[in-house]
Amino acid sequence: MLSFILNDQLVSTDEHPGMVLLEFVRDVKCLSGTKEACREGECGACTVLVGRRQPGGGMVYKACASCLLPIGDVDGCHVVTVEGLGGGTLTLVQQLIVDHSASQCGFCTPGIVLSLTGFCLGAEKISYEGAVDALDGNICRCTGYAAIRNAARALCEKLGGMNDAPAERLAALIGSGVVPGYFGGIPARLAQLRAAPAAAAKDAVLVAGGTDLFVQRPEQLMESELCFLSKRPDLDYVRVEGDVLRVGGAVTIEDFRLSPTVRRHFPALERDFLLHSSAILRNKATLAGNVVNASPIGDATIILLALDARLVIAGEKGSREVPLSKFYLGYKKTDLACGELVSEIVIPLLPAGARYSFEKVSNRTTLDIAAVNSALRVSTSPDGTITDLRISAGGVAAVPLLLHLDSFKGRKPDAAAIEAIAKAAEGEARPIDDIRGSAAYKKLLLGRLVRAHFAVPAVAGEAV
Amino acid sequence: MKNEDMLMHVRGTSRFVDDIPAPEGCLHAVLFTSPVARGKIKSLDVSKAAAAPGVAAVYTHKDVPGLNQVGHIFKDQPLLAVDSVEYIGQPIALVVAQSQRAARLALKLIKADIEPLPAVFSPREAAAKGLIHGKRRERVTGDPASAFAKCKYVAQGKLFSGPQEHFYFETQRALAVPGEHDTIKVHASAQSPGAFHHHLAEVLGIPMHKVELDIRRLGGGFGGKESTAVWITAPAMAAFLLKRPVKLALGRNEDIATTGKRHAYEYDYKLGLDAEGKILAYEIDLYQHAGACADISPAVLGRSFLHVSGSYHVPNMRVSGVSCRTNIPPNNAFRGFGVPQGTFAIEAAFTHAAELMGVPAEELKRRNLLRDGDTLPYGVKLELVNAARCWEALDGKTGLAGRRAAAAAYNRAHTDTKKGLAVVPVCFGISFAQTALNQAGALVNIYVDGSVAVSTGAVEMGQGVNAKIRIVAARTLGIPLERVRVETTNTSRVPNASPTSASTGADLNGMATKYACERLRERLLEFAARHLSCDDPAGVSIRDGGVYVGEKGPVMSWEKLAAAAQWARVDLSEHAFYATPNLHYDMESEQGRPFAYYSYGASLTEVTLDCARGTYTVDAVEVVQDAGESLSEAIDRGQVEGAVVQGLGWATMEQIRYAADGRVLTGVNAYKIPDIKFVPKHFGVTLLKDSRNPFAVCNSKAIGEPPFIHGLGAYLALTDALRGVRRDKAIPPLPVTPERAFMYLHGPEEGE
Repeated sequence: MLSFILNDQLVSTDEHPGMVLLEFVRDVKCLSGTKEACREGECGACTVLVGRRQPGGGMVYKACASCLLPIGDVDGCHVVTVEGLGGGTLTLVQQLIVDHSASQCGFCTPGIVLSLTGFCLGAEKISYEGAVDALDGNICRCTGYAAIRNAARALCEKLGGMNDAPAERLAALIGSGVVPGYFGGIPARLAQLRAAPAAAAKDAVLVAGGTDLFVQRPEQLMESELCFLSKRPDLDYVRVEGDVLRVGGAVTIEDFRLSPTVRRHFPALERDFLLHSSAILRNKATLAGNVVNASPIGDATIILLALDARLVIAGEKGSREVPLSKFYLGYKKTDLACGELVSEIVIPLLPAGARYSFEKVSNRTTLDIAAVNSALRVSTSPDGTITDLRISAGGVAAVPLLLHLDSFKGRKPDAAAIEAIAKAAEGEARPIDDIRGSAAYKKLLLGRLVRAHFAVPAVAGEAV
Repeated sequence: MKNEDMLMHVRGTSRFVDDIPAPEGCLHAVLFTSPVARGKIKSLDVSKAAAAPGVAAVYTHKDVPGLNQVGHIFKDQPLLAVDSVEYIGQPIALVVAQSQRAARLALKLIKADIEPLPAVFSPREAAAKGLIHGKRRERVTGDPASAFAKCKYVAQGKLFSGPQEHFYFETQRALAVPGEHDTIKVHASAQSPGAFHHHLAEVLGIPMHKVELDIRRLGGGFGGKESTAVWITAPAMAAFLLKRPVKLALGRNEDIATTGKRHAYEYDYKLGLDAEGKILAYEIDLYQHAGACADISPAVLGRSFLHVSGSYHVPNMRVSGVSCRTNIPPNNAFRGFGVPQGTFAIEAAFTHAAELMGVPAEELKRRNLLRDGDTLPYGVKLELVNAARCWEALDGKTGLAGRRAAAAAYNRAHTDTKKGLAVVPVCFGISFAQTALNQAGALVNIYVDGSVAVSTGAVEMGQGVNAKIRIVAARTLGIPLERVRVETTNTSRVPNASPTSASTGADLNGMATKYACERLRERLLEFAARHLSCDDPAGVSIRDGGVYVGEKGPVMSWEKLAAAAQWARVDLSEHAFYATPNLHYDMESEQGRPFAYYSYGASLTEVTLDCARGTYTVDAVEVVQDAGESLSEAIDRGQVEGAVVQGLGWATMEQIRYAADGRVLTGVNAYKIPDIKFVPKHFGVTLLKDSRNPFAVCNSKAIGEPPFIHGLGAYLALTDALRGVRRDKAIPPLPVTPERAFMYLHGPEEGE
């Protein structure tokens, strides 16, 4: 039995935990405001808010694509659909969308309302740029976005003075008409709920976000036993120990991206991970899930490969550590046995003077899968010669590739060396023609991206 | 004045087809479609599927109760394949089950033995083999051959423009509910009430008066729901046979893979200019990639054919066009209906010609803009031309010469990035090119409480046509907007309606509404004069919801007037009809007056190209659009913004990849349309001031499609930037994806 609060109502259900929330709210609960338009998290029409009560009693709300969100994952949470914003007076977000004519056919509009409402509830700072980031997964085919941008700008102006931390902001947001009053009573009501613990069966399918899993095989998941890593707070941490960053297996991409620890030690990642996917997916997808998904083009994987990350794999017989570069055995094949899980990702901090760079080219800059991506970590000795060189490349082989560049150690990264490294990269690439581009394109592009690594100021100058 | 539906959209209470609560016992239908691009069906066994759990029925062509036909222009498209298939995705059988899940599982149990036959995927190859829909069209104006002899500059070459997926958010879907006496009611996401009504009756084998098609609103249409009867008639057939409600809704990837797109075109062009850069002659051959059935393709081609000269005066011209029959799903209407493709060629040819002359393309374009008194190649002498006015307004806003100089200066100073810019003028003919379609009906009912309901044949799909009709009705009757409600589009209230397309929804249906309201107003004024015992009936008026006698009043409220009139046995219901006057076109001579008027515009687009990566940003788009006397600036501005961004998508990132066997490889995870971050940082839209238009309702102008053409600016500006780097290759195809841009810059030389 799963229990959660759906809008203002307590819901207890025996539906399979693998049923996606979109289907549950539309078909079981007959709430038709949440729209289905792609079922792959690509459009945002089905965006809902998921609020989790924090140990201190505050709420953290995140906008998520409900088409890829199994109901087992919202056990014990507050789920908000557009109906949960109240039917009487328009909320501030709704009013501004009307004022700015930011809706035409209306099919994407509920999702946009919820993403902007989620932004008000969850953003660290209320800023126009942040509001646009929050809308990066909400596609609209009618308006051309100009009116939506105007509504977002007006929203930020209205909430301009609101500088409280998200968890402290709720009363003010109720006062400003962003969310209805009943939100105030939700933490206390959630405290009464007891969510079921994570399933422990050996053959249970691990759901570490599930934003790709539920695209690939939703039907199968409706019949499998599922273990949700969102129910493993013990795996939700980012911390530095000595000279490594330790990231728990349940940490979402967005929490990782915005973690103060990550920002301190890898400031470029906040920007780079914006390219990973949209807000409504980053809020759910996990770093470990992205790695285990084993896509040869996964952005997180490519970045982590260059950063020399290691995986802590926990199984029945204890845990073992595997360098990420040894984890991929073939196309979508990994060194992960049944019953094992990636409990932690260990990322060495950048050695003093080391430089990092990430390059990605996709057809659309944001919310798109790369044609080719690549990351670099390079260190040089005081005399300017290369002491450590790691370049990863995605989209050019069956697995995420770590290029073999040891022969360049000891050389100076001058123009001739960079040219040779780029040629070596092109030489190692074995891309295929597919929907992301032709093989010839990807091979040449990798060479250009490798050259670009060395051209960006971060490489030429100080550490990231 | 806004689109009233927004108040529901933001609350999620507006109902689309899937949001209508499923009737008791509703079944779900799924199509079994062809896995091969061309083949002979040797056998088809549906028995296992029919016996699968939850399956109510599996139908093939033999079960179609009436005519097994859904062809739009020609009867060349069976609803369910008979003995052959012509494209991957062609419907062969219909599975109906208790849930969509059960229906999909049963699909896998259908055994179809199809012998593959050679298929054609290239429009030029199809044309060479004589595989075309309808007839080849050609028109020669003046004497192009001798005019080319006098040209100082001749730009000649081949061009290509790619397909575009509509990506309406609400996929193709319908819900059919059988009624008493073999009647049926169908709720559909559909743009063509009249045509689909007719298809439904034909497929079911019943008269049209037993079929009611009801359309509340569409979650986007863009033309993609104009000729798509398959997904409406299929569930209706199942409902009719099973006497149960049946729903059919395509999944997103099914919709992308099996429904029509904007047509790709291939072109041979030859543009000749004199020493001053004036066009002397233009030759253009159009190869339209139509797909396996004619669908609406010949009509789309016809519109391209009429717009190949763009916004320019071309004294000598030869144009030809063929609609090529290839083995892909039949392509159909998409915002612009062939005009973007027709206009694209001359715009790209100007890029080429400007290089030959060594002047900026916009300078050449300005010299050749249409003026009052110019004659179009099909014989129309133009008046009220706003091409130059839009251009000048744009120039005033942006300073075109300065922007060109700034881009040139930037490019001299930078090697790793390059700026490109383009100016695009728009001239877009308004009316259905098919004269017969330029008609509309409206039914206006006034109730005794003074509330007013308007029904028309117009379909609301976010473009705000209902809001505009409401404005026309309220304005004509002299009552507040709140008193008027626009009803669903329903074939029982307004019959035989033309599609809501060609940007004519408000023009035609607004005018019919105006006529009906005028007659009701006259009737009520006459009654009011009698009722109030006025000496001077001409002095009675209705305004702001009250009756006035001269300047005195209100002497009676609108509500009281309605009640009193009804009690006095005055008819408070009126149907009116509008047919656009003075339209004609002769297909033999290719001469006539196909359009009531023209919509004009001009835009500037600026881009920055990253030369190493082939990526780019659209930095600025500034648009001046002629909307006549806008009925609603908020709505028209939204139409411009939305159309421009769709056009930007077509010109840049939207691409479909096919496998060698004709399968569509691009699903929703790879078909990318513009997102909020792609939209240019500067995006300015100005509606042209002091434009008048005596040819449409309340002096307004059509707005849905014309601004789409501005999206070409992104293609042209990127080409400008790319050509700034190298010119030893042919002009790139549209769209200029990052891959194309990259390969243009870094790929192998041509011929390698």
